[in-house]
Amino acid sequence: MSLLRSSVLRPQLLSSARAFSASVARRQAVPTEKPELNKEFKIYRWNPDEPAKKPMLQSYTIDLNQCGPMILDALIKIKNEIDPTLTFRRSCREGICGSCAMNINGQNTLACLCRIERDDGKDTKVYPLPHMYIVKDLVADLTLFYKQYKSIEPYLQNDNPPANREFLQSIEDRKKLDGLYECILCACCSTSCPSYWWNQDEYLGPATLMAAYRWMADSRDSYGAQRKEKLQNELSLYRCHTIFNCSRTCPKGLNPAAAIAKIKLDLATE
Amino acid sequence: MLSTRTIGLGPALRRAVLKPRHGQTQALRAIFPKRSVQTQSLPPSASVDILNKQRLNRPSSPHFAIYQPQLTWLGSIANRVTGAGLSVLLYAYAIAYLVAPTTFDSTHVIEFVAAAPDAVKYAAKTVLALPFAFHSFNGLRHLSWDMGKFLTLKGAYNTGYAVLGATAVSTIALVLM
Amino acid sequence: MASSLFARSVVNKRISSTFTRKSLRPFVAARGVADTAYVPGGPIYKGTVNDPTTFPPPSKTHGSYHWAFERLLSAGLVPLTVAAFATSGSSYPLLDGILGVSLVMHSHIGFDSILVDYLHPRKFPVLGRVLTWTLRAATVTVLVGVYQFNTNDIGLTELIAKAWHA
Repeated sequence: MSLLRSSVLRPQLLSSARAFSASVARRQAVPTEKPELNKEFKIYRWNPDEPAKKPMLQSYTIDLNQCGPMILDALIKIKNEIDPTLTFRRSCREGICGSCAMNINGQNTLACLCRIERDDGKDTKVYPLPHMYIVKDLVADLTLFYKQYKSIEPYLQNDNPPANREFLQSIEDRKKLDGLYECILCACCSTSCPSYWWNQDEYLGPATLMAAYRWMADSRDSYGAQRKEKLQNELSLYRCHTIFNCSRTCPKGLNPAAAIAKIKLDLATE
Repeated sequence: MLSTRTIGLGPALRRAVLKPRHGQTQALRAIFPKRSVQTQSLPPSASVDILNKQRLNRPSSPHFAIYQPQLTWLGSIANRVTGAGLSVLLYAYAIAYLVAPTTFDSTHVIEFVAAAPDAVKYAAKTVLALPFAFHSFNGLRHLSWDMGKFLTLKGAYNTGYAVLGATAVSTIALVLM
Repeated sequence: MASSLFARSVVNKRISSTFTRKSLRPFVAARGVADTAYVPGGPIYKGTVNDPTTFPPPSKTHGSYHWAFERLLSAGLVPLTVAAFATSGSSYPLLDGILGVSLVMHSHIGFDSILVDYLHPRKFPVLGRVLTWTLRAATVTVLVGVYQFNTNDIGLTELIAKAWHA
């Protein structure tokens, strides 16, 4: 029955499912049981209703053969079947919303894009994004991150829009925005950056700085000088020491470190 | 009433009290609709205070202790540590020379080094040459990044391994010099 | 007797609870605001969630000029270090002097960057300022010390070369 239902969800399996249902009709085939493949997940827990209790790692063991392939599938399975109090953000389950950003086995990534390691026999540790204030369990407070994003005015600004038509842009100018505009603001890069750990109240962090560069690099925007002037202080931009943790961890394969380096070069040579 | 609310018995008690027993009570209830839960009205501005009180409870999530050791950030902190170590040595020696020029003049220092056994000499040379080589080569890597070169993840890793290799070779060369 | 005591205590409690709730509310609110003051890096933020963060006043001296100076200085250290290996301090005292000053400035910027990263005065109002000024004093002292050593003694390059081969 469950296989039949899954065939509706996955059309590419239709033909095999049809063959299977035919055999069910003949009551001959026995579905093959997969052996249990248990894996331990150690997940960071903190409950705001018991603020005095220290955060701790809680262990859950699930059968990977009864679970989807991604870490997010495991988290949802744990929440559904073992512990409904486990709290995490998730939405699209396909790496475009950025909700399920967390630290998995020491690396920041999206739980929905991170495969469960099936056969290494080790446990998987899941922490929230590093050095952030925790609302509950794996949910970090991203208020400051969004406030910083807002501070760089992430929208097109131009005092002389072309009359009676839209903004035009050459193919080369449009290409300059590739690798910048795809950012989904999941905060993986910013919270992987040691400089952001120590100075996040003033340093903008890789995600926001790459967004800032995205508007400086836009040929249609005429506020480049003002955008650059805002960063002329020792903290907002220049706490970046080109560590490259941001580019290393970006689940979308973007390169914030390069964008920040280009801002620095632009500021020094303007 | 307060205590029933705090121990969470409110809903059960309310159900028991308000369970319709006679038609009369029901009619009364219809005339005097009454909530048995006490509410405290707060101005909208109080929401910020409540939120801030919650925020003060929030723990900060773990960071470098749980982050995967990677060439990127370990190389960066090594650059800082080696640079700071060498600079501390420079500062310490210059200040020491200013305070006691006769004790820390070059002849005394060279005599002191010459008197040390070979094992100590080689150890000391390694301790000095390794951070110097690493900081120098990594400094070149940083300068090339600042000029816009090798600004990809692959570039960062390849140059990182190159720096490690060059550091190893030149440390040995300097120690044997 | 007992019942009257009980009744009174109930009444008292009700009176006192309504009294405190009404009279203490402004006080509690005031204390709440004081408790939840903004601390740099703390969990409480300036303004509402919809207010963008603000920027410090722009200053190229602390921004791009500082950055460019640091890079030029570091780049300058490359040929200076190579030259120091190739020559000797006593035959090229000017080169030795430039190397000494550049190294001290490079070190100062490095130390300063460490202080800004880990012990900024906005977070450590006393310790941060004390250390910043200690660093400035130390750098001036070191500059004097390096000058004395390079003029009265054999100079940094020569010292390292001789001690290395001693």
